[in-house]
Amino acid sequence: MSAPFTRDGLLRGIRDATPLGLGIFLYGVGVGLVADQAQFALGQALAMSATVYSGSAQLAAMNLIATGHLTLVSLAATILLMNARYLMFGAALHPWLSQTSGPRAYGSLLLMGDANWILVMRAIARGETDRAYLAGSGVPMLVGWLSGTAFGVMAGHILPDPKVLAADMMLPAFAAAMMAGMMRGRVSYVAAAVGAGMALVVNSLAGPGWAVIAAGVSGAVVAAATWQPDAVPA
Amino acid sequence: MPSFTALLLVMAGAAIFCRFAGFVAMRYLPNSPRLDAALRATPVAVMAGIAVLAAVHGSISDMVALAAAVALTFLIGNDVAAALIAVVLAALMRFTLG
Repeated sequence: MSAPFTRDGLLRGIRDATPLGLGIFLYGVGVGLVADQAQFALGQALAMSATVYSGSAQLAAMNLIATGHLTLVSLAATILLMNARYLMFGAALHPWLSQTSGPRAYGSLLLMGDANWILVMRAIARGETDRAYLAGSGVPMLVGWLSGTAFGVMAGHILPDPKVLAADMMLPAFAAAMMAGMMRGRVSYVAAAVGAGMALVVNSLAGPGWAVIAAGVSGAVVAAATWQPDAVPA
Repeated sequence: MPSFTALLLVMAGAAIFCRFAGFVAMRYLPNSPRLDAALRATPVAVMAGIAVLAAVHGSISDMVALAAAVALTFLIGNDVAAALIAVVLAALMRFTLG
């Protein structure tokens, strides 16, 4: 419980995640556009973005709500399915984040998204010790997400498609670059290769939601199975 | 159809469960070097999965942009700059190539 959780760490997280915030803003505009088309009021769209805080889950849920034929159970199942990868993300953060107090850890987890989880895992690999870094990295993401959602709902009809600006490429481009930056030793190359291969297989069988989970789980299983005392960490 | 408040509460509950449950579950697993190795390998595998899915679902220009992100990271040693350049490259290619 003695790990640092400081203002400096918070600010460092904010600074490092700010470039990602722009991409999240554009993605939020896309979600706001869909919300507007699905007849969501601005307040409803913002409330959904603030509480669910996940583009894929929100798009799936809005699609379900727009049909008018849903139950609370089917809605919960949709969110659980689309966000199941966060189970793995939280587990991966545990060894690092559990060394701060519960309220700080759980508060930080509320600000965890795909892109800043990647950023934080890279920072941990590079020796980041300040646990406020996760919360800090979540600030530009949340601000970008909420402002993008609002902008999309209010002005969506006059905006160009966010895809034209390659907003949908922000997460994969950061994932590809940070994966390359984290490559150290045979284990990481094997984990990346197995993860990519498993993602392709599961994507063709069960779709992209399960494919990302399968990638992480398969990489973890291979790393655990091939672990040796003198191996270079992934 | 349930009220929007009920829908919002259900969605928020499910979303928060996903953010907390994996973290909480780890408290009950005994720590070991193998588990540490597995957790350290998870991000690289997830990132590879995200990137390869975007590549196969995207256009040729998207694949080029993702390859550029990887190559530029190795070349310039700055992954954030490499990713931003790759996104700009993708936007330019979409604008010029359609």
